[in-house]
Amino acid sequence: MKTVRVWFSKTGAAKYISHLDLTRCMARALKLSKLPVWYTEGFNPHIYMTFAMPLSLGTEGLRECMDIRLTEGIDLTEAAKKLAENLPKDIAVLEITEPVLGFDATAYAEYELSINSEEPQVLADSIDDILSQDSIIVMKHTKKGEKEFDIKPHFTLLDKQTGPGLLRVKLRASCSQEGSVNPALLLEAVKRYENVELYAEITRIRLLTKDFSDMR
Amino acid sequence: MYPKEIEKILQKVQKPGRYVGGEIHSVIKNKDEVDVRFTFCFPDIYEIGMSHLGIKILYGAFNQVPYFWCERVFAPWVDMEQQMLEKKIPLYALESGDPVKDFDFIGFTLQYELSYTNILNMLKLAGIPLRSEDRHDLFNIVVAGGPCACNPEPLADFFDLFFLGDGEEVDIEVMELYRQCKKEGVGKHEFLVRAAQIEGVYVPSLYNVEYNPDGTIKSYTPKEGAPAKVCKRNVNNMDGAYFPEAFPVPLIEVIHDRVSVEVLRGCIRGCRFCQAGFLYRPFREKSIETIDRQCRALCASTGYDEISLSSLSTSDYSSLNELLDCLHRWTEKAKVSLSLPSLRVDNFSPELMERVNSVRKSGLTFAPEAGSQRMRDVINKNVTEEELLRTVNVAFAEGWTRIKLYFMIGLPTETIDDVLAILELGKKVVDAFFANKEKPRGKPVEVSLSAAAFVPKPFTPFQWFGQDSMELLHEKQHELKANNRSRRVSVSYHGAETSFLEAVFARGDRRLCAVLERAIEQGFHFDSWDECFDFARWMELFELCGLDPAFYASRARGFDEIFPWDHLDYGVRKEFLIEECKRAYEGKTTPNCREKCSNCGAACYKGGICVENR
Ligand code: SF4
Ligand code: SF4
Repeated sequence: MKTVRVWFSKTGAAKYISHLDLTRCMARALKLSKLPVWYTEGFNPHIYMTFAMPLSLGTEGLRECMDIRLTEGIDLTEAAKKLAENLPKDIAVLEITEPVLGFDATAYAEYELSINSEEPQVLADSIDDILSQDSIIVMKHTKKGEKEFDIKPHFTLLDKQTGPGLLRVKLRASCSQEGSVNPALLLEAVKRYENVELYAEITRIRLLTKDFSDMR
Repeated sequence: MYPKEIEKILQKVQKPGRYVGGEIHSVIKNKDEVDVRFTFCFPDIYEIGMSHLGIKILYGAFNQVPYFWCERVFAPWVDMEQQMLEKKIPLYALESGDPVKDFDFIGFTLQYELSYTNILNMLKLAGIPLRSEDRHDLFNIVVAGGPCACNPEPLADFFDLFFLGDGEEVDIEVMELYRQCKKEGVGKHEFLVRAAQIEGVYVPSLYNVEYNPDGTIKSYTPKEGAPAKVCKRNVNNMDGAYFPEAFPVPLIEVIHDRVSVEVLRGCIRGCRFCQAGFLYRPFREKSIETIDRQCRALCASTGYDEISLSSLSTSDYSSLNELLDCLHRWTEKAKVSLSLPSLRVDNFSPELMERVNSVRKSGLTFAPEAGSQRMRDVINKNVTEEELLRTVNVAFAEGWTRIKLYFMIGLPTETIDDVLAILELGKKVVDAFFANKEKPRGKPVEVSLSAAAFVPKPFTPFQWFGQDSMELLHEKQHELKANNRSRRVSVSYHGAETSFLEAVFARGDRRLCAVLERAIEQGFHFDSWDECFDFARWMELFELCGLDPAFYASRARGFDEIFPWDHLDYGVRKEFLIEECKRAYEGKTTPNCREKCSNCGAACYKGGICVENR
């Protein structure tokens, strides 16, 4: 038995399916691909799958990962091809590798937010202002209701680019098994401090370890 | 491919996965390379529509033809509808993302009366004129099929044509005719006149209706060569009938997330309240080989691990055990489980239960339909108390402790004693549990009794029956609840109001089109959902249109009355239904088609059980 790591992207229509739906979809595709996957034991056996970091609904992921177990040694390039053939077009398999790190090594993720704006430069400046504050308080929806939350320690701005009607912001945010911070909270902050409601497409580009290197 | 503009609103709605398509096996063609574009509209949310077998069959059948392209549309839930209206985004199809108003055909399935507002609301959201006469060109042809097409009169002004009976052949013939008419450059009217000549096609605008002073129908007069009787279409050879080898596999969880294979069509039993039992005669089976092949193909294309063997009454399949044996040869190894959608009281056995899993999760459900034997004889539900008790005893011994029983109240000839007999039956099931020596220890028995209000439907022996008034139904519901003395028995009932409205539209005529039109103007939709159903507003609408809903729902009809659906022919003769109605009132049962042919008329199709040796 060998654990392998499937790297995949989840874009387009697939970004609108929940984590649970993704799990079901993967299970069907694994079944169709006829890979020698390991099933859990017990009354109701199912394909063993575990995901690093669930994506929030509506967020694209360019390099996500999940682990499965194989009961026979097979060529991983071939396996990736087979799995890819059985997934919907908006879930693509990038590669299957042998895992180097445990999922608990994930500490951050890099995101890109494409924000619609009529005055992208003005927006860029106000985001700079907000991010230079000592604390950035937003209201966070939790199970127990609204709660004040400081995003400052969790967000690092990496890059900004303006285009026509668009501001692209690249940032790094906490993303680990202890807790993840949704990059959409930056939009909440702009709403709170600048009183503008923004729409953004959000993409998780990759998962990072605590020294900012790629998850492997 | 969803339209780019909806990206923004998808962040604001529940379950955006309903609106984006992108499933495997969804069919994408090049619109410039097809001649006829058809959009299959299901008038309810995605999760319900994608659980429906009919849409999968027709979607596959249409798309098999290289020059047809069939796409899917579902009713947007209220949050999405509001966003679409605000942003002026018209209803679009899931495969191409193109607006519904770009399609040659807009097709609906008529599954239940309370979906009529959703149907018309979808046309409105698409920006298509509701009335057939306001759509002048040979384009945007609005069509429908499904069980409620047997009396489509309340929708007659809106639809260009209806399909009666089995759709897989006739729908395609009409699409071919359209293609031909396009080539010849003929107009919509000529197309409809020609379509009316195809068996199974009903063009309502080709019939003039006259009414008597008392509001009943005086006559239906066909014009321009339309047939005086429109015969339903019937597919005899189920093995030869088209069945898909793949269908779009939903990305989000839907109600029935599994492979479903139709094993037979029709039903041998003539329960007198059951419209489907009469509409789909004769009973026709697929062979084991066909079912096995179709199950294998669908498992291999979808990756599902559950197969539902679906039909009106799967346990009546003549070689059920052989079928299960055959399937078990590969399903176990493939980790695929089998399920039957409906269980019958009279053939429930531990052997059967061992071979179909899936029922275990939810407890067992049976439908005795009525509490007293007298009442069950009236409705021709051939289930006895002994059979039910034997069945629940088997279930208890096998470890089940939750039993759900379905009943109807408001049946013809019903007295309050018949209603209270429902409780007695429930109590006997509880007693059977305590007397059972093999019952599971430590788990209490739970018996839930669910009572629906009876809706008289066209093409049944009860089509003449005046539905119980809502007051009477409420009283019966109340008696049921108030007289329950057992803590182990729970009673639930639903919707005297919804049943009343269903009864209005089920046996309605063309004058109801005005009510539906107003309903759409006032934003009615999702009437089958409690959160949207507003009975008082419906009553205001009838008042506004000067129509009395009780005329349709509660009025008892005479055998000589002409019905709005009498010019539609489903094989079953009206005289047979009259005989059955009389037998019902005499408490006489009628044998099922397998025991003895009762000469209902459906033998005219020369197929299925009518021509088999008994
Ligand atoms: S068994 Fe009775 S209720 Fe069920 S489908 Fe057949 S006729 Fe209808
Ligand atoms: S003709 Fe006879 S066998 Fe055929 S459906 Fe009618 S009653 Fe049944």
